[in-house]
Amino acid sequence: MDFISFLGDNLATFWTYTAFANITVGHGIMLLVGLTFIYLAIAKEFEPMLLIPIGFGILIGNIPFKDAGLQLGIYEEGSVLNILYQGVTSGWYPPLIFLGIGAMTDFSALISNPKLMLIGAAAQFGIFGAYVLALAIGFEPNQAGAIGIIGGADGPTAIFLSSKLAPNLMGAIAISAYSYMALVPVIQPPIMRLLTSKKERVIRMKPPRVVSQTEKILFPIFGLLLTCFLVPSGLPLLGMLFFGNLLKESGVTRRLAETARGPLIDTITILLGITVGASTQATQFLTWDSIKIFGLGALSFIIATTAGILFVKLFNLFLKKDNQINPLIGNSGVSAVPDSARISQSVGLEYDPSNYLLMHAMGPNVAGVIGSAVAAGILLGFLG
Amino acid sequence: MKQKIRLGLLFLLLSIVCSVQAQRTTALRINEVLVINEDNFVDDYGKRFPWIEIYNSSPGTVNIAGCFLTNDINKPKMYMVPKGDVLTRIRPRQHALFWADKMPTRGTFHVNFSLNPEEPNFIALFDSDGITLIDSVTVPAGQQTDISYGLIEDGWDQKRLNEELRLNANYKDKHGDRLWIYWEKVTPSSNNKILDTNEKIENFKENDSVGAGMTMTAMGVVFAGLIILYLIFKSIGNIAVNLSHRRVMKASGVTKEQAKDITGQSGDIYAAIAMAIYEATELHDEENTILTIKNTARNYSPWSSKIYTLREAPKR
Repeated sequence: MDFISFLGDNLATFWTYTAFANITVGHGIMLLVGLTFIYLAIAKEFEPMLLIPIGFGILIGNIPFKDAGLQLGIYEEGSVLNILYQGVTSGWYPPLIFLGIGAMTDFSALISNPKLMLIGAAAQFGIFGAYVLALAIGFEPNQAGAIGIIGGADGPTAIFLSSKLAPNLMGAIAISAYSYMALVPVIQPPIMRLLTSKKERVIRMKPPRVVSQTEKILFPIFGLLLTCFLVPSGLPLLGMLFFGNLLKESGVTRRLAETARGPLIDTITILLGITVGASTQATQFLTWDSIKIFGLGALSFIIATTAGILFVKLFNLFLKKDNQINPLIGNSGVSAVPDSARISQSVGLEYDPSNYLLMHAMGPNVAGVIGSAVAAGILLGFLG
Repeated sequence: MKQKIRLGLLFLLLSIVCSVQAQRTTALRINEVLVINEDNFVDDYGKRFPWIEIYNSSPGTVNIAGCFLTNDINKPKMYMVPKGDVLTRIRPRQHALFWADKMPTRGTFHVNFSLNPEEPNFIALFDSDGITLIDSVTVPAGQQTDISYGLIEDGWDQKRLNEELRLNANYKDKHGDRLWIYWEKVTPSSNNKILDTNEKIENFKENDSVGAGMTMTAMGVVFAGLIILYLIFKSIGNIAVNLSHRRVMKASGVTKEQAKDITGQSGDIYAAIAMAIYEATELHDEENTILTIKNTARNYSPWSSKIYTLREAPKR
């Protein structure tokens, strides 16, 4: 009898350690969010490379357990997840992602038609629109800056900046940024249709000229020197972006470029995704602030898309008729590479099946990456 | 000749590295001094003596071992901070406290001189060569009991203070214009100025509560950066196009206008021409293809395949 009660006691103790005994409504909600992410990634193919690791990370982070010093949770110092999470909290995953992005980005479209850079600048209004709104609803300036960067539509930049300005909001900001990047195909097309006329949607742009190798090599060098002299606080992101691009374009470091845009970025994407997902523990994540951040994130994407399109329309007033820009590429100033450029292409094809806008849209798209990193540098310099 | 150039470059690199190493101790500052310690900080022996606080103003760890502390400019090597003690490594923006008790046998941080409350006390920190003065201060005579004499901000020098006074109009009203001041709130081994608010954030809250200033400034900077980049690449593009015209003119002997026609074509047109030539001439492509439902023998395995081994010549 004693033996049975002994076993019973042990089983009862064991039960208190299980997730079933510790689950709360919050954990349940977050598990559903994780499953939704995985569903969207697999069934709808919305940014699967991001949503699968983040979605699964949310599941990992929201399996409840008894806090018995077992070093399991991502916030427990010394745990495996905590060690991996340091790349996020110390901000060294995002620059490595930027290294890979640089090594895989072809800036030819931008170099051949450099005026498209200005569209990438205009779309950054999304960041500051969200900043103003965040201040209006009571966030501190540093928190508002971190929230605003969601409008840059650049996950690594959002993580980097929020880890510096508002570490306590980083989980919500990262999840919000990646969610809306995945939802670009849902958010942008209605705004693009609303703000453009049928005539504007079928504007044909001049095909880009062939860009020489020398120009491609000079771009990362001048890009780095200029942007970082202007905003040194953007150095970690912009430095790595342009360095990666030089590896690609120099033609003599193919192995390094292949590693940067292949195994390295894949490894860091996995670690970043899974740890950002796991950082959304219900106890830390499910707050009113998170809900507000999600609302502000949506608005920032809407403002950024609107600003990009309206800027092109304004710009067209000053351009010759044969040099006009199709406003449907205005949305791609929101970096979200290359999804927002693909949206320009697909919406453009709906109205003229032989008008390919992708190569033109890639210009503002990569300018958006530079613009959002510069904007992040400014916010860090002002509020950090 | 090449070897000489290489050696020269190596030497240059080494000297840069060495100078960087040497520069690091220059980041040390005499930060705070307490001359009359009656009811203040006690040392590890439970005794009260005057103390000198050194601050590492750099973003990297600096080892103070081998440097010299003195109270006599004519004897710069009066007290050498002993080597081999891990505690002499001062972490970034952190402090080390030396006891001026004239009892160096009590440990690394007990110097062999004391401070005299009756007269001005000169204190200097020399680099490990005993010649390079890193920092010095003269603490005026007539110090008050348990009130320290310290820098207005940790690690600042006159240049940094002047810069602040020039950039921040309110600074003088709030904090005065003196580099060294008396601190009633004595802070051994911690920051002289205790920050309970983030001044930058407070300024933004006070002066730009709506965010309009930030928006205008930041968007201005973003636009300015990308406009300059646009102008540079527009110019580089023009130069590149002109160069390619010249190359075509030289190679084909055509006029400038004809060269413009040739080089002005987009990549798509060349791709279309290449595809058409390929389609027209590469007709043997499918000759070796045999469509069959029979099993085909494979004479290799991944174990012997050169593709999967490291015998491929490394790519550059």
